[in-house]
Amino acid sequence: MISIQNIQFRYPHGEFRLTIPEFSATQGEKVAIVGPSGSGKTTLLNLLAGILTPASGVIEVKKTAINDLNDANRRDFRIRNIGFVFQDFELLDYLTVFDNILHPYRITGALKLSEEVRQRAIHLAERMCIAGYLKKHPGELSQGEKQRAAICRAMLPNPSLILADEATGNLDPANKTRILDLLFENVDAHEATLVAVTHDHELLPRFDRVVDFQAFPSGGGL
Amino acid sequence: MDSLYLAWQYVRFNKAKTIILVASITLIAVLPLALESLLTESERQLLVRAESTPLLIGTKGSALDLVMNSLYFDDEIPELMTMEAVERIHDTQFALPIPLYVRFQARGHPIVGTTFDYFEFRRLSIDQGCPLTMLGDCVLGAKAAELLGIGPGDDLVSSPDNLFDLAGVYPLKMKVAGVLAPNHSADDLAVFVDLKTAWVIQGLGHGHQDVTRTRDNSVVLKRADGNVAANAKLYHYTEITEDNLDNFHFHGDMSIYPLTAIIAVPNDEKSGALLRGRYLDRDDTEQAFLPAEVIDGLLQNIFRIRNVIDSVIAVVGLAMVLVIILVFTLSLRLRQREIQTIFRLGCRRAMIGRMLLAEIVLILSVSGVLCMAVLGVVNANAEELVRRLLMG
Amino acid sequence: MKTVHQIVLGMILVFSSHVSAAERLSVYTVNYPLAYFAERIGDDQVEVVFPAPADVDPAYWMPDRTTIAAYQQADLILLNGANYAKWIGKVSLPRSKMVDTSRKFKDRYLYTSEVTTHSHGTEGAHAHESLAFTTWLDFSLAKLQAESIYEALARKRPMSEIEFKRNYQTLAGDLDKLHAQITAIVARDPDRTLLGTHSVYDYLNAGYEMNLKSVHWDPDEAPTVSRWNDLKHILEGHQGMYMLWKSEPLLESVSDLRKKGIESVVFSPSANRPDSGDFLTVMRANIGALALAYK
Repeated sequence: MISIQNIQFRYPHGEFRLTIPEFSATQGEKVAIVGPSGSGKTTLLNLLAGILTPASGVIEVKKTAINDLNDANRRDFRIRNIGFVFQDFELLDYLTVFDNILHPYRITGALKLSEEVRQRAIHLAERMCIAGYLKKHPGELSQGEKQRAAICRAMLPNPSLILADEATGNLDPANKTRILDLLFENVDAHEATLVAVTHDHELLPRFDRVVDFQAFPSGGGL
Repeated sequence: MDSLYLAWQYVRFNKAKTIILVASITLIAVLPLALESLLTESERQLLVRAESTPLLIGTKGSALDLVMNSLYFDDEIPELMTMEAVERIHDTQFALPIPLYVRFQARGHPIVGTTFDYFEFRRLSIDQGCPLTMLGDCVLGAKAAELLGIGPGDDLVSSPDNLFDLAGVYPLKMKVAGVLAPNHSADDLAVFVDLKTAWVIQGLGHGHQDVTRTRDNSVVLKRADGNVAANAKLYHYTEITEDNLDNFHFHGDMSIYPLTAIIAVPNDEKSGALLRGRYLDRDDTEQAFLPAEVIDGLLQNIFRIRNVIDSVIAVVGLAMVLVIILVFTLSLRLRQREIQTIFRLGCRRAMIGRMLLAEIVLILSVSGVLCMAVLGVVNANAEELVRRLLMG
Repeated sequence: MKTVHQIVLGMILVFSSHVSAAERLSVYTVNYPLAYFAERIGDDQVEVVFPAPADVDPAYWMPDRTTIAAYQQADLILLNGANYAKWIGKVSLPRSKMVDTSRKFKDRYLYTSEVTTHSHGTEGAHAHESLAFTTWLDFSLAKLQAESIYEALARKRPMSEIEFKRNYQTLAGDLDKLHAQITAIVARDPDRTLLGTHSVYDYLNAGYEMNLKSVHWDPDEAPTVSRWNDLKHILEGHQGMYMLWKSEPLLESVSDLRKKGIESVVFSPSANRPDSGDFLTVMRANIGALALAYK
């Protein structure tokens, strides 16, 4: 599913460098990424998403060398195949929960919003137990409810790869577990690959594999 | 469409910011356009009225005051002239003189003392009731009747000049004979009376019992030389009725009775020029001029003032535009996180641009619609607004 | 064929000379003499209206609103001038249609001493009651009034000016004859003292330099003691043998005057339309009566 070979990455303005000789994940695999702050965990997720491009090396997702795609194609590939779950949920305050879930379909021509998509969104929300909040705005939801909505948004395009950056970082312990359960449920249901950056070590045993970023050479002023 | 939908949700959610932006843009758009509309209408009204008045004659002094009082019934009363001037014009046979005495008011509306010819000259027709017939009658302009809430058969009392001047003008109860059809001019707000009725209001004419036949000596000061001098005890009627009409009369030489102006309607162009020529003597106490020339001069001044106002509005408008740009820029900064998120989700740069542009387009569209609505209201009421402004 | 042409031409001429009612000028007057003059001058080009009732002195008549409205709609309103029709000063009429027929001789207006005026306070101006107004009884002035009417009609209808002028000249000739007749009668005895029962004879008196003094008697009322005293006062300095009346007096008045050696004759001002005849016939009858007074 994912394959990274000998990538070298460096931010244009700064000293940080990341070198990843090799990294991979199979379809359906749940991989946790751990490491100290500034080690490049989020950078890895951005490289996998095609948001950043390496100076050298190959990044393949679903057998597509995404770093060879141009910016527009990378964005299209990303929105069709990769779902993002953020630590701060990143829901839009001015949209209802329902519109937030459908949001990816409104910001790109690569996805077509149809009645079938709307129905799927509703089913997703039901599975995430937030169907009753679809007409509310994020400001009216609890932290856990917001993250569930964010997960629905990430899952709706049926992505092959889910990238979660500290998805449980802002949740209380009870919600952490619950959210992770829901995330895993949906990942399994879609047979998607999950790469999650986390600082929550108590959650690590639930993942198929844990990758410690200290193993990869990095440095710089982070 | 998606970008419009998202933009619509955004402006709806941020109501306060949206309202302020829309209001600001509407204001800077509406102000100059509304002002332009009102000024254009002012020009039109002033010119139409002035051009339809061939020649105006009055005592030498401010021509503008004379025009404003005679054509628009402004309450600034010009220097008075006398009825004798009317007879002089009549004797020349160059023009039809239409005297005006615009001095008094009735419940805030100017009383225009004139002759029957005025109505034909201004093409005023009766909509209700009948024209001026007898002393004490008044005919109301359409708007005056509507505002006063009176019609044919009702009474209207003239307003006293000065509540504390006991020797001054007394109120006269006039009978509303008729109401004119709308004319869309200053005539709509006026109360028309026969010139003689205006003189009665002033006290130059009055009605009382016949002192030459009365047996009540308490009202008689002196009887001598075929004349009976009455004293102040003699009661003067405050209303002219068909019963006491016979008792109304005027004292003294009517050729020196006052007027505010005379509209002269020349028989032809040559007669007009000849008549005007008679007032060119520097020692003459009277002047004759074309109202259109005076109004044209006034409009030239207005035009200069308008340029200044336009410049001020332009500067203010520019400042407003800069502020609006700043607001949008700050808004963009506030949405930076949102932009980053959708960027990370996979949104193309063009779409981001479209979303932000859609917000601007939406706000501008709403402002545009509001602007058109406000301008529509202003244009629909410009005539009335301007007329009220001119009338004061 | 020639006959047909002549008939057709004749019909055209007949019909073209007949002015329809809609084309006639509407002329309203304030007394009968002016109506007569307008009818003589305007002929079939005018429709003359003098609406005052026959039993009301037009000088003191007050028309109702409907009648005033009719005056307002007229093409011409002929006024006598000299403050004749008191009602004119109390109504609204279009100045553009008004013709003051005595304007040409307003510097020759006469003031009557028979009316008591009034003022307010000792320094106040007098009200305007004291002008004499039967101007047409001086036929030289009547001719000027007729001329004013002719000029007004000609201004209104320039294409008929020639016709109006012709008619005016005919009327003027008639008025000149009347003028000459009275002049000749008075010339028989310029100092002949006459009495008049009303100030209506002021212009007659002044115009023909008669020696007439007036009392204020009404033909249909028996004079009061006070009125007899007025006459007695006048007779002390002015012994007249003939009394001129506006209309047929009471027999009693005639008889009482006769006892004092005064004969009564009627000299009608003809302010109203006569029951029979016209202005000329009335004036000729007046002149006949005057001739009697100067016998």
